[in-house]
Amino acid sequence: MFLEAKNINKCFGAEQVLDDLSLQLAEHEMLSILGRSGSGKTTLLKILAGLESPDEGEIVLEGQDMRPLPPNRRNIVYLYQEPLLFPHLNVFENVAFGLRLRKTQEGVVRKRVGEMLANLELPEQARKMPHQLSGGQRQRVAFGRALIINPKVLLLDEPFGALDAETRASMQQLLKRMAKAFAITALFVTHGLKEALIMGDRIGLMEQGKLKVYETKKAFINDTGTGVQAEADFWRGIYLES
Amino acid sequence: MQKPSTYIGLGLFLAFTAFPLLLGIGYALLFSLGLTGILSEGFTLDHWRAVLGSARFWETMAFSIYVALVSIGLAAGLALLLVMRRPRTFENGPLSFFIYLPLAIPSIVMAFLIFQLLSKGGALSRLAYQLGLVDGLSQFPDWVNGQYGIGIITAHFFMALPFFLILYTQMYYHEELKGLMQQAFTLGATRRQANWRVAAPVLLRRSFATVVLYFLFVMGSYEIPLLLGSQSRQMVAVLTIQKLQRFNLGDIPQAYTISVVYSIIVIALVAGLLRKRK
Repeated sequence: MFLEAKNINKCFGAEQVLDDLSLQLAEHEMLSILGRSGSGKTTLLKILAGLESPDEGEIVLEGQDMRPLPPNRRNIVYLYQEPLLFPHLNVFENVAFGLRLRKTQEGVVRKRVGEMLANLELPEQARKMPHQLSGGQRQRVAFGRALIINPKVLLLDEPFGALDAETRASMQQLLKRMAKAFAITALFVTHGLKEALIMGDRIGLMEQGKLKVYETKKAFINDTGTGVQAEADFWRGIYLES
Repeated sequence: MQKPSTYIGLGLFLAFTAFPLLLGIGYALLFSLGLTGILSEGFTLDHWRAVLGSARFWETMAFSIYVALVSIGLAAGLALLLVMRRPRTFENGPLSFFIYLPLAIPSIVMAFLIFQLLSKGGALSRLAYQLGLVDGLSQFPDWVNGQYGIGIITAHFFMALPFFLILYTQMYYHEELKGLMQQAFTLGATRRQANWRVAAPVLLRRSFATVVLYFLFVMGSYEIPLLLGSQSRQMVAVLTIQKLQRFNLGDIPQAYTISVVYSIIVIALVAGLLRKRK
Protein backbone atom coordinates (compact mmCIF):
# COMPACT_ATOMS: atom_id res chain seq x y z
CA MET A 1 0.00 0.00 0.00
CA PHE A 2 1.24 3.52 -0.82
CA LEU A 3 0.36 5.18 2.49
CA GLU A 4 -0.54 3.34 5.66
CA ALA A 5 -1.43 4.62 9.09
CA LYS A 6 -1.55 1.85 11.68
CA ASN A 7 -3.19 2.01 15.09
CA ILE A 8 -2.73 5.74 15.62
CA ASN A 9 -3.61 7.05 19.07
CA LYS A 10 -3.47 10.66 20.14
CA CYS A 11 -4.62 12.37 23.32
CA PHE A 12 -4.69 16.05 24.21
CA GLY A 13 -4.80 15.99 28.01
CA ALA A 14 -7.59 13.68 29.04
CA GLU A 15 -9.30 13.85 25.67
CA GLN A 16 -8.66 10.98 23.26
CA VAL A 17 -8.67 12.63 19.83
CA LEU A 18 -7.61 9.62 17.72
CA ASP A 19 -8.54 6.15 18.90
CA ASP A 20 -6.63 3.25 17.37
CA LEU A 21 -7.10 4.71 13.90
CA SER A 22 -5.86 2.90 10.82
CA LEU A 23 -6.15 3.72 7.12
CA GLN A 24 -4.69 2.69 3.81
CA LEU A 25 -4.34 4.81 0.72
CA ALA A 26 -3.42 3.55 -2.74
CA GLU A 27 -1.24 5.57 -5.12
CA HIS A 28 -3.17 8.21 -7.14
CA GLU A 29 -6.24 7.67 -4.96
CA MET A 30 -8.24 10.42 -3.29
CA LEU A 31 -9.85 9.41 -0.02
CA SER A 32 -12.56 11.70 1.33
CA ILE A 33 -12.83 11.78 5.10
CA LEU A 34 -16.15 13.02 6.34
CA GLY A 35 -16.58 14.11 9.91
CA ARG A 36 -18.01 16.72 12.23
CA SER A 37 -15.94 19.45 13.84
CA GLY A 38 -13.87 18.00 16.66
CA SER A 39 -13.93 14.45 15.30
CA GLY A 40 -10.12 14.44 14.98
CA LYS A 41 -9.80 14.99 11.20
CA THR A 42 -7.32 17.87 11.43
CA THR A 43 -5.22 16.06 14.05
CA LEU A 44 -5.01 13.03 11.76
CA LEU A 45 -3.79 15.17 8.84
CA LYS A 46 -1.28 17.01 11.03
CA ILE A 47 0.11 13.71 12.30
CA LEU A 48 0.49 12.43 8.72
CA ALA A 49 2.23 15.69 7.76
CA GLY A 50 4.56 15.50 10.76
CA LEU A 51 3.20 18.66 12.36
CA GLU A 52 1.93 16.64 15.35
CA SER A 53 3.34 13.43 16.83
CA PRO A 54 1.15 10.43 17.54
CA ASP A 55 1.21 8.97 21.05
CA GLU A 56 1.23 5.52 19.47
CA GLY A 57 1.03 4.05 16.00
CA GLU A 58 2.93 3.86 12.77
CA ILE A 59 2.91 5.82 9.52
CA VAL A 60 4.43 4.17 6.48
CA LEU A 61 4.82 5.83 3.08
CA GLU A 62 6.10 3.66 0.25
CA GLY A 63 7.44 1.21 2.81
CA GLN A 64 9.34 3.87 4.77
CA ASP A 65 8.57 4.70 8.39
CA MET A 66 7.69 8.38 8.49
CA ARG A 67 7.88 8.92 12.26
CA PRO A 68 11.56 9.90 12.48
CA LEU A 69 11.23 12.33 9.56
CA PRO A 70 10.47 16.02 10.15
CA PRO A 71 7.68 17.61 8.05
CA ASN A 72 10.11 19.12 5.52
CA ARG A 73 11.52 15.70 4.62
CA ARG A 74 8.25 13.81 4.22
CA ASN A 75 7.18 15.32 0.88
CA ILE A 76 3.63 15.40 2.22
CA VAL A 77 1.98 18.79 1.79
CA TYR A 78 -0.74 19.91 4.16
CA LEU A 79 -3.24 22.49 2.89
CA TYR A 80 -5.34 24.40 5.39
CA GLN A 81 -8.86 25.70 5.06
CA GLU A 82 -7.29 29.14 4.68
CA PRO A 83 -4.95 29.36 1.69
CA LEU A 84 -2.18 30.83 3.92
CA LEU A 85 -0.31 32.44 1.05
CA PHE A 86 2.90 34.14 2.07
CA PRO A 87 1.79 37.78 2.29
CA HIS A 88 5.16 39.26 1.29
CA LEU A 89 5.39 37.26 -1.96
CA ASN A 90 3.43 37.77 -5.17
CA VAL A 91 1.50 34.97 -6.84
CA PHE A 92 4.48 33.87 -8.96
CA GLU A 93 6.83 33.70 -5.97
CA ASN A 94 4.24 31.94 -3.80
CA VAL A 95 3.91 29.19 -6.41
CA ALA A 96 7.69 29.11 -6.88
CA PHE A 97 8.35 28.84 -3.11
CA GLY A 98 9.01 25.09 -2.99
CA LEU A 99 11.20 25.22 -6.10
CA ARG A 100 13.28 28.06 -4.63
CA LEU A 101 13.83 25.98 -1.48
CA ARG A 102 15.14 23.21 -3.69
CA LYS A 103 17.41 25.69 -5.51
CA THR A 104 15.85 24.88 -8.90
CA GLN A 105 17.40 26.74 -11.85
CA GLU A 106 15.77 30.08 -12.65
CA GLY A 107 14.79 29.05 -16.20
CA VAL A 108 13.12 25.89 -14.93
CA VAL A 109 11.31 27.85 -12.20
CA ARG A 110 9.92 30.30 -14.77
CA LYS A 111 8.79 27.52 -17.08
CA ARG A 112 7.15 25.38 -14.41
CA VAL A 113 5.47 28.23 -12.57
CA GLY A 114 4.19 29.60 -15.90
CA GLU A 115 2.72 26.22 -16.78
CA MET A 116 1.20 25.82 -13.34
CA LEU A 117 -0.41 29.26 -13.44
CA ALA A 118 -1.82 28.44 -16.88
CA ASN A 119 -3.26 25.19 -15.50
CA LEU A 120 -4.84 27.14 -12.66
CA GLU A 121 -6.17 29.77 -15.08
CA LEU A 122 -4.17 32.43 -13.27
CA PRO A 123 -1.50 33.66 -15.71
CA GLU A 124 -2.67 37.29 -15.53
CA GLN A 125 -2.42 37.30 -11.75
CA ALA A 126 1.28 36.35 -11.59
CA ARG A 127 2.48 39.75 -10.34
CA LYS A 128 -0.40 40.40 -7.95
CA MET A 129 0.00 40.21 -4.20
CA PRO A 130 -2.20 37.78 -2.21
CA HIS A 131 -4.43 40.54 -0.80
CA GLN A 132 -5.36 41.54 -4.36
CA LEU A 133 -6.91 38.12 -5.10
CA SER A 134 -10.36 36.69 -4.47
CA GLY A 135 -10.84 33.77 -2.05
CA GLY A 136 -11.06 31.25 -4.89
CA GLN A 137 -7.97 32.62 -6.62
CA ARG A 138 -6.01 32.46 -3.37
CA GLN A 139 -6.98 28.84 -2.89
CA ARG A 140 -5.91 28.06 -6.47
CA VAL A 141 -2.51 29.62 -5.81
CA ALA A 142 -2.21 27.46 -2.69
CA PHE A 143 -2.91 24.35 -4.82
CA GLY A 144 -0.32 25.45 -7.36
CA ARG A 145 2.25 26.07 -4.64
CA ALA A 146 1.66 22.55 -3.30
CA LEU A 147 1.45 20.69 -6.62
CA ILE A 148 4.52 22.22 -8.22
CA ILE A 149 6.83 20.24 -5.94
CA ASN A 150 5.12 16.95 -6.86
CA PRO A 151 4.28 15.89 -3.31
CA LYS A 152 3.82 12.22 -2.66
CA VAL A 153 0.65 12.92 -0.72
CA LEU A 154 -1.56 16.00 -0.55
CA LEU A 155 -3.54 16.55 2.64
CA LEU A 156 -6.50 18.86 2.16
CA ASP A 157 -8.14 20.13 5.32
CA GLU A 158 -11.55 21.50 4.28
CA PRO A 159 -9.89 23.58 1.57
CA PHE A 160 -13.16 25.01 0.27
CA GLY A 161 -14.73 25.69 3.64
CA ALA A 162 -14.34 29.45 3.41
CA LEU A 163 -15.67 29.78 -0.16
CA ASP A 164 -19.17 30.62 -1.40
CA ALA A 165 -21.24 27.83 -2.97
CA GLU A 166 -20.55 28.78 -6.58
CA THR A 167 -16.79 29.20 -6.16
CA ARG A 168 -16.73 26.03 -4.11
CA ALA A 169 -18.35 24.04 -6.94
CA SER A 170 -15.92 25.39 -9.54
CA MET A 171 -12.96 24.71 -7.22
CA GLN A 172 -14.13 21.13 -6.70
CA GLN A 173 -14.12 20.62 -10.46
CA LEU A 174 -10.72 22.28 -10.78
CA LEU A 175 -9.24 20.04 -8.08
CA LYS A 176 -10.76 16.94 -9.70
CA ARG A 177 -9.18 17.97 -13.01
CA MET A 178 -5.81 18.73 -11.40
CA ALA A 179 -5.90 15.48 -9.41
CA LYS A 180 -6.25 13.56 -12.65
CA ALA A 181 -3.66 15.61 -14.53
CA PHE A 182 -1.04 15.38 -11.75
CA ALA A 183 -1.97 11.85 -10.61
CA ILE A 184 -2.39 13.11 -7.05
CA THR A 185 -2.60 10.89 -4.01
CA ALA A 186 -4.67 12.79 -1.48
CA LEU A 187 -6.70 12.79 1.69
CA PHE A 188 -9.58 15.23 1.43
CA VAL A 189 -11.18 16.18 4.73
CA THR A 190 -14.60 17.78 4.74
CA HIS A 191 -17.75 18.04 6.80
CA GLY A 192 -19.90 18.29 3.66
CA LEU A 193 -21.60 15.08 2.63
CA LYS A 194 -22.01 16.12 -1.00
CA GLU A 195 -18.41 17.31 -1.21
CA ALA A 196 -17.13 14.04 0.22
CA LEU A 197 -19.06 12.13 -2.45
CA ILE A 198 -17.88 14.41 -5.27
CA MET A 199 -14.20 14.46 -4.34
CA GLY A 200 -13.36 11.00 -3.04
CA ASP A 201 -12.62 7.78 -4.91
CA ARG A 202 -13.44 6.20 -1.57
CA ILE A 203 -15.00 7.70 1.52
CA GLY A 204 -14.24 7.38 5.20
CA LEU A 205 -16.41 8.45 8.10
CA MET A 206 -14.72 9.79 11.20
CA GLU A 207 -16.48 9.86 14.55
CA GLN A 208 -14.94 10.42 17.98
CA GLY A 209 -11.44 9.64 16.80
CA LYS A 210 -12.35 6.47 14.96
CA LEU A 211 -12.30 6.10 11.19
CA LYS A 212 -14.43 3.74 9.13
CA VAL A 213 -13.42 3.56 5.47
CA TYR A 214 -15.98 2.25 2.98
CA GLU A 215 -14.64 0.20 0.10
CA THR A 216 -17.20 1.61 -2.35
CA LYS A 217 -19.36 4.71 -2.55
CA LYS A 218 -22.37 2.41 -2.67
CA ALA A 219 -21.46 0.88 0.67
CA PHE A 220 -21.12 4.38 2.10
CA ILE A 221 -24.52 5.45 0.73
CA ASN A 222 -26.24 2.31 1.97
CA ASP A 223 -24.96 2.69 5.53
CA THR A 224 -27.66 4.54 7.47
CA GLY A 225 -25.07 5.90 9.90
CA THR A 226 -23.47 8.11 7.24
CA GLY A 227 -26.51 10.38 6.92
CA VAL A 228 -26.80 9.94 3.15
CA GLN A 229 -30.18 8.20 3.40
CA ALA A 230 -31.54 10.88 5.73
CA GLU A 231 -30.33 13.59 3.35
CA ALA A 232 -31.88 11.85 0.35
CA ASP A 233 -35.17 11.41 2.26
CA PHE A 234 -35.17 15.10 3.15
CA TRP A 235 -34.83 16.20 -0.48
CA ARG A 236 -37.27 13.57 -1.65
CA GLY A 237 -39.80 14.89 0.88
CA ILE A 238 -39.27 18.47 -0.30
CA TYR A 239 -39.68 17.36 -3.89
CA LEU A 240 -42.90 15.44 -3.19
CA GLU A 241 -44.39 18.31 -1.19
CA SER A 242 -43.83 20.85 -3.96
CA MET B 1 -25.90 55.87 11.04
CA GLN B 2 -23.01 55.89 13.48
CA LYS B 3 -23.51 54.91 17.13
CA PRO B 4 -23.48 57.79 19.67
CA SER B 5 -20.40 56.21 21.28
CA THR B 6 -18.54 56.71 17.96
CA TYR B 7 -19.28 60.45 18.02
CA ILE B 8 -18.31 60.67 21.70
CA GLY B 9 -15.03 58.88 20.93
CA LEU B 10 -14.36 61.16 17.98
CA GLY B 11 -15.17 64.23 20.09
CA LEU B 12 -12.81 63.11 22.89
CA PHE B 13 -10.08 62.40 20.34
CA LEU B 14 -10.47 65.86 18.81
CA ALA B 15 -10.67 67.60 22.19
CA PHE B 16 -7.75 65.90 23.91
CA THR B 17 -5.45 64.83 21.07
CA ALA B 18 -5.95 66.63 17.76
CA PHE B 19 -7.02 70.05 19.08
CA PRO B 20 -4.11 70.70 21.49
CA LEU B 21 -1.70 69.40 18.84
CA LEU B 22 -3.10 71.65 16.13
CA LEU B 23 -3.15 74.55 18.59
CA GLY B 24 0.52 73.99 19.40
CA ILE B 25 1.58 73.67 15.76
CA GLY B 26 -0.57 76.68 14.82
CA TYR B 27 1.00 78.80 17.55
CA ALA B 28 4.51 77.67 16.53
CA LEU B 29 3.73 78.52 12.90
CA LEU B 30 2.50 82.02 13.83
CA PHE B 31 5.59 82.56 15.96
CA SER B 32 7.90 81.34 13.17
CA LEU B 33 6.25 83.78 10.73
CA GLY B 34 6.65 86.70 13.10
CA LEU B 35 2.91 87.04 13.67
CA THR B 36 3.06 86.60 17.42
CA GLY B 37 5.65 86.74 20.22
CA ILE B 38 7.19 89.39 22.33
CA LEU B 39 9.50 90.76 19.61
CA SER B 40 7.05 90.27 16.76
CA GLU B 41 7.30 92.88 14.01
CA GLY B 42 4.76 91.48 11.60
CA PHE B 43 4.85 88.84 8.87
CA THR B 44 8.35 87.72 7.83
CA LEU B 45 10.01 84.66 6.31
CA ASP B 46 13.39 85.60 7.77
CA HIS B 47 13.27 82.94 10.49
CA TRP B 48 12.42 80.23 7.95
CA ARG B 49 15.24 81.44 5.69
CA ALA B 50 17.62 81.45 8.65
CA VAL B 51 16.69 77.90 9.70
CA LEU B 52 16.43 76.30 6.26
CA GLY B 53 19.58 78.04 5.08
CA SER B 54 21.60 76.98 8.10
CA ALA B 55 23.99 74.07 7.71
CA ARG B 56 23.68 73.40 11.43
CA PHE B 57 19.96 72.72 11.18
CA TRP B 58 20.43 70.17 8.38
CA GLU B 59 23.35 68.60 10.23
CA THR B 60 21.11 68.29 13.27
CA MET B 61 18.36 66.65 11.23
CA ALA B 62 20.86 64.27 9.60
CA PHE B 63 22.39 63.42 13.00
CA SER B 64 18.93 62.78 14.50
CA ILE B 65 18.03 60.48 11.60
CA TYR B 66 21.39 58.70 11.91
CA VAL B 67 20.95 58.09 15.66
CA ALA B 68 17.37 56.86 15.20
CA LEU B 69 18.28 54.63 12.24
CA VAL B 70 21.26 52.99 13.93
CA SER B 71 19.68 52.48 17.36
CA ILE B 72 16.34 51.21 16.06
CA GLY B 73 17.95 49.22 13.26
CA LEU B 74 20.25 47.46 15.73
CA ALA B 75 17.55 46.89 18.36
CA ALA B 76 14.87 45.66 15.93
CA GLY B 77 17.39 43.57 13.98
CA LEU B 78 18.87 41.91 17.06
CA ALA B 79 15.42 41.34 18.59
CA LEU B 80 14.27 39.66 15.38
CA LEU B 81 17.36 37.43 15.30
CA LEU B 82 17.02 36.43 18.97
CA VAL B 83 13.31 35.69 18.68
CA MET B 84 13.81 33.58 15.56
CA ARG B 85 16.68 31.62 17.10
CA ARG B 86 15.23 31.17 20.59
CA PRO B 87 11.56 32.06 20.54
CA ARG B 88 10.67 30.05 23.65
CA THR B 89 13.23 31.95 25.77
CA PHE B 90 11.11 35.07 25.68
CA GLU B 91 7.75 33.32 25.81
CA ASN B 92 8.28 31.20 28.94
CA GLY B 93 10.68 31.18 31.86
CA PRO B 94 12.30 33.97 33.87
CA LEU B 95 13.34 36.07 30.85
CA SER B 96 9.73 36.41 29.74
CA PHE B 97 9.15 38.31 33.02
CA PHE B 98 12.42 40.23 33.35
CA ILE B 99 12.25 41.46 29.79
CA TYR B 100 9.41 43.79 30.84
CA LEU B 101 11.47 45.49 33.56
CA PRO B 102 13.68 47.69 31.34
CA LEU B 103 10.50 49.17 29.84
CA ALA B 104 9.74 50.69 33.25
CA ILE B 105 13.05 52.58 33.36
CA PRO B 106 12.64 56.27 32.50
CA SER B 107 14.89 57.48 29.71
CA ILE B 108 16.74 59.92 32.00
CA VAL B 109 17.68 57.02 34.30
CA MET B 110 18.89 55.01 31.32
CA ALA B 111 20.91 58.03 30.21
CA PHE B 112 22.58 58.20 33.67
CA LEU B 113 23.29 54.47 33.59
CA ILE B 114 24.95 54.74 30.19
CA PHE B 115 26.89 57.80 31.36
CA GLN B 116 28.17 55.85 34.38
CA LEU B 117 29.09 52.98 32.12
CA LEU B 118 30.61 54.59 29.02
CA SER B 119 31.99 58.00 30.02
CA LYS B 120 35.72 58.63 30.44
CA GLY B 121 35.30 58.37 34.22
CA GLY B 122 32.82 55.50 33.96
CA ALA B 123 32.95 51.81 34.79
CA LEU B 124 34.22 50.55 31.45
CA SER B 125 36.93 53.18 31.33
CA ARG B 126 38.13 52.21 34.81
CA LEU B 127 38.04 48.54 33.91
CA ALA B 128 40.05 49.22 30.75
CA TYR B 129 42.60 51.11 32.89
CA GLN B 130 42.82 48.28 35.44
CA LEU B 131 43.35 45.77 32.62
CA GLY B 132 46.09 47.93 31.17
CA LEU B 133 44.20 48.58 27.93
CA VAL B 134 44.58 52.35 28.38
CA ASP B 135 47.34 54.32 30.16
CA GLY B 136 44.98 56.94 31.51
CA LEU B 137 41.26 57.65 31.63
CA SER B 138 41.67 60.40 29.04
CA GLN B 139 42.73 57.77 26.50
CA PHE B 140 39.37 56.06 26.75
CA PRO B 141 37.36 56.81 23.56
CA ASP B 142 34.68 59.51 23.49
CA TRP B 143 31.70 57.21 23.67
CA VAL B 144 29.74 59.73 25.70
CA ASN B 145 29.40 63.32 24.46
CA GLY B 146 31.28 62.25 21.32
CA GLN B 147 30.86 63.05 17.63
CA TYR B 148 29.28 59.71 16.69
CA GLY B 149 26.58 59.66 19.35
CA ILE B 150 27.62 56.21 20.60
CA GLY B 151 26.30 56.92 24.11
CA ILE B 152 22.93 58.11 22.75
CA ILE B 153 22.68 55.13 20.41
CA THR B 154 23.56 52.70 23.21
CA ALA B 155 20.96 54.16 25.58
CA HIS B 156 18.21 54.06 22.93
CA PHE B 157 19.31 50.58 21.89
CA PHE B 158 18.93 49.24 25.43
CA MET B 159 15.54 50.90 25.79
CA ALA B 160 14.26 49.63 22.44
CA LEU B 161 15.64 46.08 22.56
CA PRO B 162 13.22 44.67 25.20
CA PHE B 163 10.32 46.42 23.50
CA PHE B 164 11.08 44.76 20.17
CA LEU B 165 11.79 41.41 21.84
CA ILE B 166 8.32 41.45 23.38
CA LEU B 167 6.72 42.65 20.15
CA TYR B 168 8.36 40.01 17.95
CA THR B 169 7.82 37.19 20.46
CA GLN B 170 4.10 37.94 20.57
CA MET B 171 3.93 38.21 16.79
CA TYR B 172 5.95 35.01 16.34
CA TYR B 173 3.39 33.00 18.27
CA HIS B 174 0.44 34.54 16.48
CA GLU B 175 -1.79 31.86 14.96
CA GLU B 176 -1.37 33.08 11.39
CA LEU B 177 2.42 33.08 11.45
CA LYS B 178 2.34 29.64 13.02
CA GLY B 179 0.19 28.45 10.11
CA LEU B 180 2.49 30.07 7.54
CA MET B 181 5.52 28.45 9.13
CA GLN B 182 3.86 25.02 9.18
CA GLN B 183 2.91 25.53 5.54
CA ALA B 184 6.54 26.31 4.73
CA PHE B 185 7.71 23.17 6.61
CA THR B 186 5.42 20.86 4.66
CA LEU B 187 6.57 22.52 1.42
CA GLY B 188 10.09 21.43 2.33
CA ALA B 189 11.54 24.32 4.34
CA THR B 190 13.93 23.68 7.22
CA ARG B 191 13.38 25.80 10.35
CA ARG B 192 16.16 28.13 9.22
CA GLN B 193 14.64 28.53 5.75
CA ALA B 194 11.17 29.07 7.21
CA ASN B 195 12.58 31.69 9.58
CA TRP B 196 14.40 33.65 6.89
CA ARG B 197 12.00 33.22 4.00
CA VAL B 198 8.73 33.49 5.92
CA ALA B 199 8.96 34.59 9.56
CA ALA B 200 11.46 37.45 9.12
CA PRO B 201 9.74 39.17 6.17
CA VAL B 202 6.30 38.69 7.71
CA LEU B 203 7.42 40.05 11.10
CA LEU B 204 9.17 43.01 9.48
CA ARG B 205 6.10 43.82 7.39
CA ARG B 206 3.74 43.56 10.35
CA SER B 207 5.99 45.61 12.62
CA PHE B 208 6.84 48.26 10.04
CA ALA B 209 4.43 50.88 11.41
CA THR B 210 5.64 50.31 14.99
CA VAL B 211 9.28 50.53 13.89
CA VAL B 212 8.62 53.84 12.11
CA LEU B 213 6.77 55.27 15.12
CA TYR B 214 9.61 54.25 17.46
CA PHE B 215 12.06 55.74 14.95
CA LEU B 216 10.21 59.08 15.17
CA PHE B 217 10.15 58.85 18.96
CA VAL B 218 13.94 58.39 19.07
CA MET B 219 14.50 61.11 16.49
CA GLY B 220 12.63 63.58 18.68
CA SER B 221 14.02 62.39 22.03
CA TYR B 222 15.40 64.96 24.45
CA GLU B 223 16.74 63.71 27.81
CA ILE B 224 19.12 61.06 26.46
CA PRO B 225 20.86 63.28 23.84
CA LEU B 226 20.91 66.16 26.34
CA LEU B 227 23.00 64.14 28.79
CA LEU B 228 24.95 61.93 26.40
CA GLY B 229 25.27 64.10 23.27
CA SER B 230 27.98 66.54 22.25
CA GLN B 231 27.71 70.31 21.95
CA SER B 232 28.73 70.40 18.30
CA ARG B 233 26.41 67.67 17.05
CA GLN B 234 23.00 67.94 18.58
CA MET B 235 19.75 66.16 18.07
CA VAL B 236 16.75 68.16 16.94
CA ALA B 237 14.96 68.43 20.31
CA VAL B 238 18.14 69.61 22.08
CA LEU B 239 18.82 72.26 19.44
CA THR B 240 15.20 73.46 19.59
CA ILE B 241 15.11 73.77 23.38
CA GLN B 242 18.52 75.43 23.37
CA LYS B 243 17.32 78.09 20.95
CA LEU B 244 14.09 78.50 22.91
CA GLN B 245 15.85 79.06 26.22
CA ARG B 246 18.74 81.19 25.01
CA PHE B 247 19.45 84.62 26.33
CA ASN B 248 18.99 85.98 22.80
CA LEU B 249 15.21 86.38 22.41
CA GLY B 250 15.70 86.70 18.65
CA ASP B 251 16.42 82.95 18.50
CA ILE B 252 12.98 81.99 19.84
CA PRO B 253 11.17 82.23 16.46
CA GLN B 254 13.87 79.96 15.00
CA ALA B 255 13.13 77.38 17.69
CA TYR B 256 9.47 77.48 16.65
CA THR B 257 10.46 77.23 12.98
CA ILE B 258 12.51 74.10 13.71
CA SER B 259 9.59 72.56 15.58
CA VAL B 260 7.23 73.30 12.67
CA VAL B 261 9.64 71.81 10.11
CA TYR B 262 10.12 68.76 12.31
CA SER B 263 6.34 68.41 12.74
CA ILE B 264 5.86 68.59 8.95
CA ILE B 265 8.44 65.83 8.43
CA VAL B 266 6.82 63.63 11.10
CA ILE B 267 3.29 64.22 9.78
CA ALA B 268 4.44 63.48 6.20
CA LEU B 269 6.08 60.24 7.35
CA VAL B 270 3.02 59.12 9.32
CA ALA B 271 0.67 60.07 6.45
CA GLY B 272 2.85 58.10 4.02
CA LEU B 273 2.78 55.17 6.41
CA LEU B 274 -1.01 55.24 6.72
CA ARG B 275 -1.37 55.40 2.93
CA LYS B 276 0.94 52.41 2.56
CA ARG B 277 -1.07 50.44 5.11
CA LYS B 278 -4.30 51.10 3.20
